[in-house]
Amino acid sequence: MTTGAWICLVSPLVSAILITLGGTRLSRRTAGYLATLACFVSFSGALASFVAMLGRSGGDREVVSTAWTWLSAGRYSSGFEVLVDPLSVMMMLIVSGVGALIVAYSIGYMDGDPEERRYFAYMSLFVFSMLLLVQGGNLLLLLAGWGMVGLSSYLLIGFWHERPNAIAAAKKAFIMNAIGDATMALAFFLLIKQSGGLAFGVLNAHYSSTTANLVALGLLGGAVAKSAQLPLQTWLPDAMEGPTPVSALIHAATMVTAGVYLIVRTHAIFEQAPKIADLAAGLGAGTLLLAGLIALVQVDIKRVIAYSTMSQIGYMFLGAGLGAYANGMFHLMTHAFFKALLFLAAGIVIHALADEQDIRKMGGLRRLLPGTYWASLIGSLALVGIFPFAGFFSKDSILAAAMAHGTYGYILWVAGLTGTFLTGLYTFRLFFIVFGGEPSAFVREHFHALKRDVVGVSMGGTVAVLAVLSLFGGWIQFSPWWHPVDTWLRTVAEPLVTPKSWQEWTSIGASLLLGLAGIYSAWLFYGARRVAVPRLDVAQRILERKFYFDELYDALFYIPAVLLAKGLYVLVEQPLVRGSVTELGEDARDVGGLVARLQTGLLRTYVLAIATSVAVLAIIFVAVR
Amino acid sequence: MLVATAGNVLVWAVWMVAAFACLASAVAVVSFSNPFYSALALIGNLGSLAVLYLLLSSEFVAAAQVLVYAGAVMVMFLFVIAYIGPRSESPWAGGPSWQAVGAVLAAAALLVEIIVAIGLKAGGRLAHSPDVHGSFGSPAYIGRLFLTDHLLAFEITSIVLLVAAIGGVILGAHSRRLPEELPHP
Amino acid sequence: MTGPGVAWYLGVAAFLFATGSLGVLLRRNPLIVLLSLEIMLNGANLALIGFSRNFGNGDGQIFALAVMAVAASEVVVGLGLIVALNRKRVTLDVDRLNRLRG
Repeated sequence: MTTGAWICLVSPLVSAILITLGGTRLSRRTAGYLATLACFVSFSGALASFVAMLGRSGGDREVVSTAWTWLSAGRYSSGFEVLVDPLSVMMMLIVSGVGALIVAYSIGYMDGDPEERRYFAYMSLFVFSMLLLVQGGNLLLLLAGWGMVGLSSYLLIGFWHERPNAIAAAKKAFIMNAIGDATMALAFFLLIKQSGGLAFGVLNAHYSSTTANLVALGLLGGAVAKSAQLPLQTWLPDAMEGPTPVSALIHAATMVTAGVYLIVRTHAIFEQAPKIADLAAGLGAGTLLLAGLIALVQVDIKRVIAYSTMSQIGYMFLGAGLGAYANGMFHLMTHAFFKALLFLAAGIVIHALADEQDIRKMGGLRRLLPGTYWASLIGSLALVGIFPFAGFFSKDSILAAAMAHGTYGYILWVAGLTGTFLTGLYTFRLFFIVFGGEPSAFVREHFHALKRDVVGVSMGGTVAVLAVLSLFGGWIQFSPWWHPVDTWLRTVAEPLVTPKSWQEWTSIGASLLLGLAGIYSAWLFYGARRVAVPRLDVAQRILERKFYFDELYDALFYIPAVLLAKGLYVLVEQPLVRGSVTELGEDARDVGGLVARLQTGLLRTYVLAIATSVAVLAIIFVAVR
Repeated sequence: MLVATAGNVLVWAVWMVAAFACLASAVAVVSFSNPFYSALALIGNLGSLAVLYLLLSSEFVAAAQVLVYAGAVMVMFLFVIAYIGPRSESPWAGGPSWQAVGAVLAAAALLVEIIVAIGLKAGGRLAHSPDVHGSFGSPAYIGRLFLTDHLLAFEITSIVLLVAAIGGVILGAHSRRLPEELPHP
Repeated sequence: MTGPGVAWYLGVAAFLFATGSLGVLLRRNPLIVLLSLEIMLNGANLALIGFSRNFGNGDGQIFALAVMAVAASEVVVGLGLIVALNRKRVTLDVDRLNRLRG
């Protein structure tokens, strides 16, 4: 079991190293094949662990395998170890599986890019980092993986580094993630202080309510930053500057879900700090509404999907905050399938239209890209949560859990249902605009179909696989009747709430209804064009400016920092530097100039000086002695 | 101090003449504008100094003064002056500059100080000179001192002379042609 | 000792020294500067010989002989410099020889 886990972890690292060391000795295509192979090997390792774990039961399913002692200082010591338990195996399967598919897709998508090798090295690095995060056997390794995925995200967002937008987006993402890293580090410091270590066991210790609240708050800060929830959500839409497979893998399927994983992994702390857990759920609900609203006015195809990701992660946070851990994780899994599917399908559209991403220029792609049309349809239906697609099974159980949480839970429930309507609306707005109607002028001019070679196979094939997963992947669990996912994760995280049967069915029904209503509204506005889209200029402006969060942060943090820097420069650095260094130099030069004037070069002056000094000295000697 | 005896009068007379010649020639050296005349005045100065040394019972030093200084050094001076050719400057033209004033003051100060210092410090010890034996100042006496008590000074002086000789040769040698002046192939 | 006392010789020596230094300070022709330097050295020699006679000690005379040898060496080098300068057609005026000014 642990061997599989180690293979899973190490394989992408080996690929990253080999591609980096190979450099130009590898052809670009070979780098892609190598990375894909490594990810598939990784997946088989994860599969092997999974199968082995099936053969065990209960507490036997949790194994820590230590390779060596990594860090040892005083009373604190930390090993380089992997934890193989149901939660980590589930994440391993998702990360390596979806990762392998997306890396395979990249072979086609990035074909022809001069820096393909660098791309595949970074992708392998990312997969390794993410696996380290989920497999890390102690909190320190989790933090290491956490930081490394942030790094990989930075490297991949800014992959096309000649574009200033990409660089700016990469910096923004990294800086906002760093805020979360800082809060997490503080939380870990507190843990070390109180319990002396960072093994996962310390999470189960009992803490005073202040400590628990502070630690949970720190962890929540990290989760919020990594998962782009309120209030640190502004980096995710900008991160769409990276290549589409990057958006699919990092900013949809895996990295942004790390926050949810963190909350589930450290649920013991959150259970000791119920207010913070409620805060997490509340932030999730707020984000899902915010993102849903903003997605209604976006015109970039990838940004719509990005906001939808933000919104769906809000659901996961909602679930995790309420204690419905298994439901949150299940939604994480199905979301990975259909969100990756949507992104990759969008990537096919973008490639077919010569890298155009503005949906206002698109239209009528149904006949030109039939496979993609069906894939997007499946993905969109799964996203909205329509039976029998994947999202249906996972989303509703979260809403049911909200109902079981008291009055606050009902508020969240209403928010969640509103979100479902919005999801239907914006998802199908996108779908109808891009695929419906007649081909637009732009499309007729620039469209070119995918070639039927490796490129076409890699892109089309992986999309097909993900479509199948989005179709059938949800059938693993249907809360009222069969729930193997719950049972699977029960040993790791016992759910806090168990919704009753009527709550389950009510949620299912309401959410289905609202989802269909959203789809119908989208059809009215954008599909059949029967009703004009309602426009409220004020609302339109607020949504287009993303609720002015960027401007707010600019005013709160960036401008004061710039002013401070400028002020210090003028008031402190200039005078000090000028006063000390420059003026010292000038003074030394002036003194030197004065002294240099004594050197007239004339013999007579020197001799006169000698004679005068002898005369003076003679007086002194005679007088003193 | 002034004991006027017959031998004394002769000594005093010789001393007066020699001292006056010494001082006059020194002033002449400093004042002439033609270096040739200055060199000749210096020869006169050296000669009167030799007489003064004789009066001080230092025969060997007097002889060396005439042979080495007046005979060799001054001849060398005269050679060089003749080689360089006529050159005269008018040292006292244009009025005294601050340099000249300073120089005169410094020289005057030195003179006064030396006299005052010696006068103050010597006390009564200068009044009475002991009688010296007959061989005082003879070549044998000097030679014995050089080879016993002051052997080191003797050897070092010879090295200094060697160095000066080498220096003279180097300074006088024709300068080597610089590489760019050599004929190119 | 018959004749003037040592003090008179020392006075002459002092005067020689002062006159020599005046010459070194005031004259512009390097040859005359060297000559004035010789006068200063001779003044010192006279003082040495005078003291040697006064104390009956031969060391002063040894010293004077050494001074004479050194003076001769210094004149050799000084005149060599002057000859070299002359060959390079440099003006023989110490006021103009100020290339080493700071």
